[in-house]
Amino acid sequence: MGWAARRQLINLLGALSLVGALAGLAFGLPALDRALPADRPVSADRPYPIGGGVTVVPPPGARVDVTETRPTDETGTALFRLGPVRYVINVQPFEGDLAAAAARLRERITGTTGYQVTGTELTIATVSGLAGLQGGYTAPGRGGRYAVFLADGRTIEVTVSGADLDLGRSLPAIDASTKTLSYSPEAAE
Amino acid sequence: MTAEPRLRSARSAPVQPGDGPGLGLMRLPAFWIVLATLAAGGARMAVIAGRFAGAFPLAMLTATALFALLAVPFWLFVTELDFLEREPPALLVLAFAWGGLVATSVSIPGSAALDDLIAKLGSPHLAADWGAALAAPTVEEIAKTLGVVAIVLVARAQVNSVLDGVVYGAMVGLGFQIIEDIVYALGAVALAGRGDQVEPVITTFLLRGFLSGVWSHTLFGALAGAGIGYLVVRADRAWRIRLGVAMLAVLGAWASHVLWNSPLFRDGLGNGALALLAVLVLKGLPPLLLIVLLVRAAHDREADYYAAQLAELDDPELITADELNALKSGSRRASARWHARSRAGFRARTAVRRLQRAQARLAVEVSRGTPDLSRWCHEVRRQRRILAALGHPEASAPEGKGPWRRTASTVFTTALAVAVLWAAISTLGGG
Repeated sequence: MGWAARRQLINLLGALSLVGALAGLAFGLPALDRALPADRPVSADRPYPIGGGVTVVPPPGARVDVTETRPTDETGTALFRLGPVRYVINVQPFEGDLAAAAARLRERITGTTGYQVTGTELTIATVSGLAGLQGGYTAPGRGGRYAVFLADGRTIEVTVSGADLDLGRSLPAIDASTKTLSYSPEAAE
Repeated sequence: MTAEPRLRSARSAPVQPGDGPGLGLMRLPAFWIVLATLAAGGARMAVIAGRFAGAFPLAMLTATALFALLAVPFWLFVTELDFLEREPPALLVLAFAWGGLVATSVSIPGSAALDDLIAKLGSPHLAADWGAALAAPTVEEIAKTLGVVAIVLVARAQVNSVLDGVVYGAMVGLGFQIIEDIVYALGAVALAGRGDQVEPVITTFLLRGFLSGVWSHTLFGALAGAGIGYLVVRADRAWRIRLGVAMLAVLGAWASHVLWNSPLFRDGLGNGALALLAVLVLKGLPPLLLIVLLVRAAHDREADYYAAQLAELDDPELITADELNALKSGSRRASARWHARSRAGFRARTAVRRLQRAQARLAVEVSRGTPDLSRWCHEVRRQRRILAALGHPEASAPEGKGPWRRTASTVFTTALAVAVLWAAISTLGGG
């Protein structure tokens, strides 16, 4: 093999290694991620910390998805799965009243193509005394429910989604869980 | 010429002059593979941009315009780092595009997956606290460093000093930073949930562009690029030493990025503007100082090398001893231009700048062993004649003239910029 051909071969191998390294980052890591389970069992007997000082008692049989659960001192997100039903609680700092918090959540829901808010909003309250608004939404093949609470400059957004049949089975347990939402300033420190 | 810069320059890697890029690079397989990779990255980012443009057209336009404007001073600064042996614009564009299209499109799924893996193998708490600090730097620094490797594969002859590695690395980082900032700005618009508003874009621009921009990806990329430059240039050293230095540089870039993203000092220095500024300085200053020292050493080495090439010509019509001394230092080059302007007006300043560029280009051609230097000599003499006609025949400043006025001007401008920025952030409620 001549020097020029050898140089071309080394150049080709170098470039292919480069593409291989990129593919490892773009496809290898996600493949490895998908190969490991994301769900963990979670106890329905004690409060689960969502973040920002907010806790909830998960519904019986729920599993927490660790890939979409991120508790911090100021904010937090938790995703519980009851079979195919998603039960998401999101805590964020918010400066505004309950109506503005509900309007913001509605806008985000309807911002997804095909999603529509249905019916009127109802006032609800948790066992610990947090006041909130609750409503429903629908999308092709799916339905859902949302609720918003305010606690000490934070908004607690709850969204539940799944196929209508599955939702019907899971909603009573999820409603019971939502009522256990609680905010403790000490836990946020 | 003093002894001190010689000693400092001798500690950095030598310069290995190479030919200019020609059509020959199209015969390299890497050229086409890198081009295809860029096209794939571009297509991926176009899909993301299209999605944002559909949902938030005004915010998208504003973010693109603001961050494109921000890229201009960064671009000029980075290209100016290697004044003596300027990099071909096509390769600078390639480096920028790699950062903006390839490194970003790879990092989006890669970082998310690694963040998930931290949560799965550790815990959601660990991922919440350290996920951003560990996942993003790991994927992004590798993806960006591969951009400098791509430049080496496509145009090896153009990476002939550590400083070249710094410039290409910084340019990859700049491309990444600009596109990432646009994506962040539009993410803030989506999160705000108030429709197509520009306020979140402006807040992101001020916070990420100005306040964090100085020590962000451009800096990390430069550090990693220096390592690749050393690996390529330092052929006189053992392979394992070169590889070790390159890995150390990439590790340094990674560590700087980890420190920047880490939750350390998140609440440690209290609230308010001063505390925020203190945290930014504490996290950003170490890598900034490191890269400043590295660039200075690499620049001095290169300056000594090219000055020696010009000195061999021994022709005061082409370059005088004082001009040679001025050409070796960015500060002295600027002083010479400043002096020309104050003495003979703006046209003299422009002519000095062109003369300096022509002299630098001549030095590069001499180092390459170009047989016919007449074209480059002619340009130097032409600028010399213009200067002579303006009554300012030599492009140098008397010792001690110039620097303090420029320093005072720079300090004043910086203080003013920080004050304006702070007022803007406070008004927007971001401070």
